[in-house]
Amino acid sequence: MGEVIVITSGKGGVGKTTTTANVGVGLAMRNKKVALVDADIGLRNLDLVLGLENRIVFDLVDVVEGRCKLRNALVKDKRFDGLYLLPAAQTRDKTAVKPEQMIKLCNDLRKEFDFVLIDCPAGIEQGFNNAVVAADRAIVVTTPEVSAVRDADRVIGLLEAKELRNPRLLINRIRNDMVRRGEMMSIEDVKDILAVDIIGIVPDDEKIVISTNRGEPVITDGKSLAGQAYNNIARRILGEDVPLLDLEGHDEGFMLKLKKFLGIKN
Amino acid sequence: MSDNGVIFKATKDGLIIIMNKELEFDEIYNEINKKLISAGNFFKGASLGVKYRGRKLSEEEIKIICELMTQKTETTISSFEEETNNLGFNTDIKEENTIKENGFIKYDMRKETYSNDIKSILHSREEEGITKFYRGTVRSGQLISYDGNIVILGDVNPGAEIQAGGNIIVMGWLRGTVHAGMYGNDKAIVASLSLQPVQLRIANIITRPPDEQKYESPSVPEIAFVKDNMIFIESFLPQK
Ligand SMILES: Nc1ncnc2c1ncn2[C@@H]1O[C@H](COP(=O)(O)OP(=O)(O)OP(=O)(O)O)[C@@H](O)[C@H]1O
Ligand SMILES: [Mg+2]
Repeated sequence: MGEVIVITSGKGGVGKTTTTANVGVGLAMRNKKVALVDADIGLRNLDLVLGLENRIVFDLVDVVEGRCKLRNALVKDKRFDGLYLLPAAQTRDKTAVKPEQMIKLCNDLRKEFDFVLIDCPAGIEQGFNNAVVAADRAIVVTTPEVSAVRDADRVIGLLEAKELRNPRLLINRIRNDMVRRGEMMSIEDVKDILAVDIIGIVPDDEKIVISTNRGEPVITDGKSLAGQAYNNIARRILGEDVPLLDLEGHDEGFMLKLKKFLGIKN
Repeated sequence: MSDNGVIFKATKDGLIIIMNKELEFDEIYNEINKKLISAGNFFKGASLGVKYRGRKLSEEEIKIICELMTQKTETTISSFEEETNNLGFNTDIKEENTIKENGFIKYDMRKETYSNDIKSILHSREEEGITKFYRGTVRSGQLISYDGNIVILGDVNPGAEIQAGGNIIVMGWLRGTVHAGMYGNDKAIVASLSLQPVQLRIANIITRPPDEQKYESPSVPEIAFVKDNMIFIESFLPQK
């Protein structure tokens, strides 16, 4: 029986969809059978990040309303065997799915897949409830900003109330130069407030923007720091003990300064 | 249109009526009535095998609907039964992403020219029928569905969907998903001033642009049609 993991945040735009896509690819690269479920009905994005939009024929709402079989709505990834996407319906809204339907759907997926990752919509309303209702584990994504951390705190509380204990924290878009200047919360600051275990930290990386636009998850770029970060997260989900990424030294500003100091031209 | 509780889907064996189970019979009846009126003589003369799903119907209710349909469409209802299979389309496929998927035949969309005279192909097409006109941009998340033809006086953005029983004409950019001839009519066509759909379906044939190449904005209006079970795309302006 596979495991259902919800990727949630409370606040919008902090990196849930990016995380779902990259962690999914990371697990599939390690020969796991993975289903990615886009629960953001009406605002689907996960298909774009994976570059699969033009392959969608049926969607999650078609499945729960009985218009097609689950198997027929799953879109096979074009690069990785074992990776499938269950797209959200774009022309419907969150009320199109009920929690019971989501539980049934996830139970069906659980039988076929090692991991079912659910990309949760922003907010704490019905879309959130649908996304978390069937989950065994939760990953809460936040950025090191006061507002995002506040919302993450709220969501962790809601998850605990739903018996989803010990969610893991993913801190996204860390910028070391800013942390060093004291302009951004550090990992320790965030951890102190939220008091949950960290599953990973992902640096702010413009490669993510490029890869998102291209529909190729950044994890496939082994050289990028964000790609490495997502690889580590996939390994930790599989139970490996991997130390947190050392962001020092990779800092671009610092490298640039060093190069200038040594007189190296780019 | 799919939100009002009753959907008509035509298959090669007849018609499927999909009903929202939340609706009262009265509402179902009214919706079916409306659909039949808007379908005009779409079904006229045919002998129709009807299946339904989404909601149970009593014998009494079946009788009422049958009467309504015979009366409104001048068809004979050869059968009326609950559908057991999940899909209107053939679903017996072994592998995802093979050529035939979910009853759709799939191709990568290549804008190859079909050598025969395009006029002769188009002349054999059905070009009549009731038509819905829509003014404005169809945006992501919007669905326009109609049993007859659809004309969009504006653009269709990615994430938007247009479904027609007949032809689809977009007087603007077409960058969303379109399904012409959705009840199985492979004579249906799609035409647009700039044809760059995410996905284009006619009847049960589905195409999408190949992954490798992105189209630069084509400057010519184009038309998509089915020939030999394949979708072809051509400029529809006279060659100068
Ligand atoms: N580590 C990062 N570095 C740079 N940009 C990032 C990073 N993570 C995410 N982004 C960018 O932030 C934006 C939002 O990301 P994403 O769509 O994954 O967030 P989300 O939480 O799913 O949003 P929503 O709440 O709207 O569903 C995207 O444009 C993405 O490219
Ligand atoms: Mg998202």
